[in-house]
Amino acid sequence: MSWERWRIPLMLGPTVLIILVLFFGSLGFGFLQSLGFQPQLGNTELNFDAYISVMFSEEHSSRFWAGLLLTFWVAFASTFISAALAIAIALLLRRTFFGKRLAVFLFQLNLPIPHLVIAIGMILVFSQSGLLSRVAGELGLISSPREFPVLVRDSSGIGIILAYVWKEIAFFGIIVMAILQSLGEDYEAAAQSLGANRWQRFRYVTLPLIMPGLMSASIIVFAFTFGTYEVPRILGVRHPEMLPVMALDFFLNPDLNARAEGMALSIIIAVIVLILVLIYMYISARTIRRG
Amino acid sequence: MTHVRINNLTKAYSGVDAPAVADLDLDIPSGRLIALLGPSGCGKTTTLKMIAGLIRPTAGDITFDGDSIVRIPPEKRGAVMVFQNYLLFPYMSVGQNVGFGLKMAGVDPKTIDQRVKEMLNLVRLPDISDRRPKQLSGGQQQRVALARALITKPRVLLLDEPLSNLDAHLRDEMRELILSVQRDLGITTIFVTHDQEEAVLLADRIAMIFDGRLQQFASPDVFYRHPASERIARFLGGVNFLPGKRQGDTVETDVGSFRFAPGGEDERPPEDGLLTIRPEQIVLGQPTAENTVQGRVVSRIFVGTYTRYRLALGSHQIEAVRSADVAGDFAEGQDVPIGFPADRVWMVRPDQAA
Ligand SMILES: Nc1ncnc2c1ncn2[C@@H]1O[C@H](COP(=O)(O)OP(=O)(O)O)[C@@H](O)[C@H]1O
Ligand SMILES: [Mg+2]
Repeated sequence: MSWERWRIPLMLGPTVLIILVLFFGSLGFGFLQSLGFQPQLGNTELNFDAYISVMFSEEHSSRFWAGLLLTFWVAFASTFISAALAIAIALLLRRTFFGKRLAVFLFQLNLPIPHLVIAIGMILVFSQSGLLSRVAGELGLISSPREFPVLVRDSSGIGIILAYVWKEIAFFGIIVMAILQSLGEDYEAAAQSLGANRWQRFRYVTLPLIMPGLMSASIIVFAFTFGTYEVPRILGVRHPEMLPVMALDFFLNPDLNARAEGMALSIIIAVIVLILVLIYMYISARTIRRG
Repeated sequence: MTHVRINNLTKAYSGVDAPAVADLDLDIPSGRLIALLGPSGCGKTTTLKMIAGLIRPTAGDITFDGDSIVRIPPEKRGAVMVFQNYLLFPYMSVGQNVGFGLKMAGVDPKTIDQRVKEMLNLVRLPDISDRRPKQLSGGQQQRVALARALITKPRVLLLDEPLSNLDAHLRDEMRELILSVQRDLGITTIFVTHDQEEAVLLADRIAMIFDGRLQQFASPDVFYRHPASERIARFLGGVNFLPGKRQGDTVETDVGSFRFAPGGEDERPPEDGLLTIRPEQIVLGQPTAENTVQGRVVSRIFVGTYTRYRLALGSHQIEAVRSADVAGDFAEGQDVPIGFPADRVWMVRPDQAA
């Protein structure tokens, strides 16, 4: 009777509790740290000093703002380029051709490969002493490795973007292929029958139909590329440096006071991503309502 | 107005043994409303898609007004297909859906707006231009899909099962709408259905298809009076079949011989086949009429406007339907004269399987 009502909440209880403690507990503690709360150092007073230091102090501000710009650029470019390429490839893979299974397999091969391995692979292939450079040398296209363009550890984040594109293209690909599969080709056939040419079918039918799923995947990729450090740590330069790498430096700093700044920076990153996601959801909800 | 000819049209899907459509020949005079009738899986949709250009034929040709169109891409053919499941674009308003074809053709927005309005009026759905497809009932969606096709002024309109996803009362409404629109605009129209009643009510001529092969192409009344085979007769609700041999205009059966009226030139009944007559054409209780034999009432069911009799005739059983308007009734076990009017009797070839 009344016991029945409590059965499911009670069964879920332990799990929910663990999630609450682990997630909100650590988040809350991290936030407290960013406000300077470090009882082991005797700091129990809360203030925004770490935030101000990260964003406006002479020591950190130039790194922060240049890093913020680079982080935006890398996250946007990686997301957009990998999404666009994944759509093109998924549309090609939808046709029947000899070797299709192999192509689909290759397309998704790097899905389980860690980002770290991809980053190192990038160096082996794209650096000035890498595979491409050597091939170009052998072919006589360049006379010394220094003539090979700087594609990794470059100041505009090309290497980082290339690595992310390489990796996320498979993630977008899986999602786009699943959407295309479930949609079938009937909508496009209907449009074609009504006079839409190939480009018009893509622009007015395929793209709008895959857009909702594509946007959700884009949020995931954007938030991920905005907030992780492995790839930029390996493929980036010291200045400018993506914000997650800067946060990592604070955490690795033996000075425990840098903890607060690391936490503050992490929270700034999280808040920026959160705001962007909220703006996106607001816009898409409005366009869905309006058409 | 477009004269459509289909010659030896064949489609074999790769990996499938039997062709989905085999050697189909049809001649559809311009401005007509034609039904492709047949059970599910007989190749109707495949045929429509080949005409629309969405499937490439394995062999054969299709001409519009004498010009082969099989090499013209679907978007330039002017053969617009309305799909069974409507396929309205969910992210567009009704108005944008209807105007789609004109937008693709680069027509200016003002003209599109005006034509959309005309089309929505034509399908009797004014004032829903701003709604979303999912806010509409199935019947409304079907009509929007029709408007979306008609706005492009197609040379040939192709309707795939336009009525089968609709409730009974919506079906009547939609049928009437298709009929009136088709008559008004005079567009050569081919529609697909598995429902014989729909085909009979709508079509000028019916192409009966079994297993991808054309069985008979004729006007609806011919299908009832002179079906070409037992299978066609059964598909159209025929139930009475008596084995017999034909000599001239007379059929000899083991319950007697029956004279029948000869059909047209291309309707030659087989020598050896089945005599058939529809239940509602049988005349009961008139001993002096031509083609009359004695039988016995096995059972009777009164269904309001008519009575359905099961009759024993020699070793056979047949069914007769008698309108409630006709005086007289017959009890179970009663002997009764059974008349087969000569102009209602026909000979068909039996099913291969039988
Ligand atoms: N893409 C396809 N690949 C293989 N076989 C198909 C394909 N489409 C239809 N068929 C087969 O072809 C036959 C005719 O199909 P269809 O034209 O859809 O029939 P209908 O519309 O009369 O129900 C069916 O046996 C069906 O299974
Ligand atoms: Mg079909």
